[in-house]
Amino acid sequence: MRRILVSIAIMVAIINFDFIIPRLVPGNAAEILAASSRLPQQAFVEIQARLGLDHSYYVQYVLYLKGIFLSWPPYFGVSYQYFPAQVTTLFFSRLPWTLILIGSSFALSIIIAYFMSAYASSRRAGKFEVGSLYSAIVFHATPVFWTSMILLWVFAVYLRWLPIFGNISNNPGTGLAYLGSVIVHAILPVLAMTLSFFGEVYLVLRGTTQQVLKTDYVTAARTRGLSDFLIARRYILRNSLLPLVSLLTFSLASLISRVILVESVFGYAGIGDLIVDAVVNRDYPVLEGSIFYVTLLVVIGGLIGDFLLVRLDPKLREEDEVRQ
Amino acid sequence: MTTTSADVVIEERPRNRLRSIYSSIFSSRLSKIGLCMIVGIIVFIVAGSLLTPYSPYAISVSINKPPSYAHPFGTDYLGHDLFSQIVWGAYPSLFVAMGGALGSVVLGFFVGVFGGYYRKLDGVLGGASDVVMAFPVLPLLIMLGSLFPATNLFIMSLLIAVLWPPVARSVRAQVASAKKLPFVDAARTGGLRDIEIVLRIIVPEVGSIAMAYFIVNVSLTIILTTALQFLGVGNPNAVSWGSTLYWAQQFGFYAGAWWWILVPGAIITLTATGFAFIGFALEEKFNPRLKII
Repeated sequence: MRRILVSIAIMVAIINFDFIIPRLVPGNAAEILAASSRLPQQAFVEIQARLGLDHSYYVQYVLYLKGIFLSWPPYFGVSYQYFPAQVTTLFFSRLPWTLILIGSSFALSIIIAYFMSAYASSRRAGKFEVGSLYSAIVFHATPVFWTSMILLWVFAVYLRWLPIFGNISNNPGTGLAYLGSVIVHAILPVLAMTLSFFGEVYLVLRGTTQQVLKTDYVTAARTRGLSDFLIARRYILRNSLLPLVSLLTFSLASLISRVILVESVFGYAGIGDLIVDAVVNRDYPVLEGSIFYVTLLVVIGGLIGDFLLVRLDPKLREEDEVRQ
Repeated sequence: MTTTSADVVIEERPRNRLRSIYSSIFSSRLSKIGLCMIVGIIVFIVAGSLLTPYSPYAISVSINKPPSYAHPFGTDYLGHDLFSQIVWGAYPSLFVAMGGALGSVVLGFFVGVFGGYYRKLDGVLGGASDVVMAFPVLPLLIMLGSLFPATNLFIMSLLIAVLWPPVARSVRAQVASAKKLPFVDAARTGGLRDIEIVLRIIVPEVGSIAMAYFIVNVSLTIILTTALQFLGVGNPNAVSWGSTLYWAQQFGFYAGAWWWILVPGAIITLTATGFAFIGFALEEKFNPRLKII
């Protein structure tokens, strides 16, 4: 319950923030548009009126809020770069590509970290365990944009195995060829993000697997003769589900941060690229809208994660009931 | 004058605390490796900035040359010596990163201590830290950093403003459990004021976890700062680690200058990894979940 209130507070904060910050910057949006060309005064006044910038701040604020809450889909204005595309349309047309990257790297990181921790825990304190711990920390501390640049260099430029930029080729064709094109362009970004993210997952899993291995039922299972692998699958999976879900609630934000960097290196047309372009070109409506939607996504992800946590963990459920 | 039990306890704890931090840094192999890396990097930076004959801004005729004796790390498309760029560019990046980490830990520490000790403030402070923690960090930093003129100090204060909640949370949990210790009650009945209790008892207890958080946060802020510089926030013409990679991304691929891409990032990785190793070892020692008070 408390979490919902906090989330609402966050959204309120972000909406206000989104409105105030671009207005604080010197130079109104119309002035910026006019600054790079020789615009006659008449056209300048018209643009101001069109963008709704000649009203007082209070009226602008009301219009802004009306745009968000009263119209569906929420209206954030029209982008300056891709005029006259609406911000909302732009964002949602690019969202699926980013979700492909985030989803695949999240799933891949979990799988890799899971197998690594299962194997590392079955050989106590062997070279593999130490090595995997070190490599998890090292990869976690490596800046993801550097990893992507290296991957780009090695695989795309030097070896020419994989494409250089973009999310699909120029003539993708239909059906299977399209899918193939998407996959091929997504391999390097997903690889870069997975390398950067699996460290976090591995560190969390390592704690739980070590705990699980000390329990009695695992010793019992081992004396019964179950193979290590079976033990890992049956017991570790169930017990580490909890920390994994709580990792999800906190890591969506960091995944989005990484995806922004990766997309900007690979020129992959997703949300991150949209944000970076908007920043470079001073495209304020897109910036406002994207930040709002990204925060909304993170908050929703957090709420879903919290909800799952409460369902899965009986201790938290009791606490929740007691509090209510 | 009889020494009460409160006096004896307060006197002997701080000395042990420092020693325990000291010993934990040197006991774990992980942190020894990390310490070597950090010391090595510091020596490299300081010695390099004293020894290198080129200024990082000096353009020259040797364009796009691979590593050689004259230019240990090669040159870029304008003839800047890459070694000087890395060595001199370390100062802005590390200054912002360390300042940001230090500030965020200090701020989080204060918020955590006050939130954990005074019940009345706890609701507000806890709510504030939850709200700030839920913001996606990098998009916010990008937006703010690009809309306002982003000097180094500005980026540092942004980092502080965004990274303090996890520290506050952890410190608050520690303080809340430290408050239940019997000698806190004893001290209060002995006549110590609130502020003295906080300073003498609580702070040494939780000081060690703050130290561990500082080191971990430095690793995080190094990556965040270089990422911001890489995206062009701030002044990409000022020499720093991230901006070197920014120009490498723009021009390095066409020129085939692999050293331009490889080396700055490798140095960033080494530094961040060194701090991450030490931080991980410290965290293992001081983790509140495992610590038995």
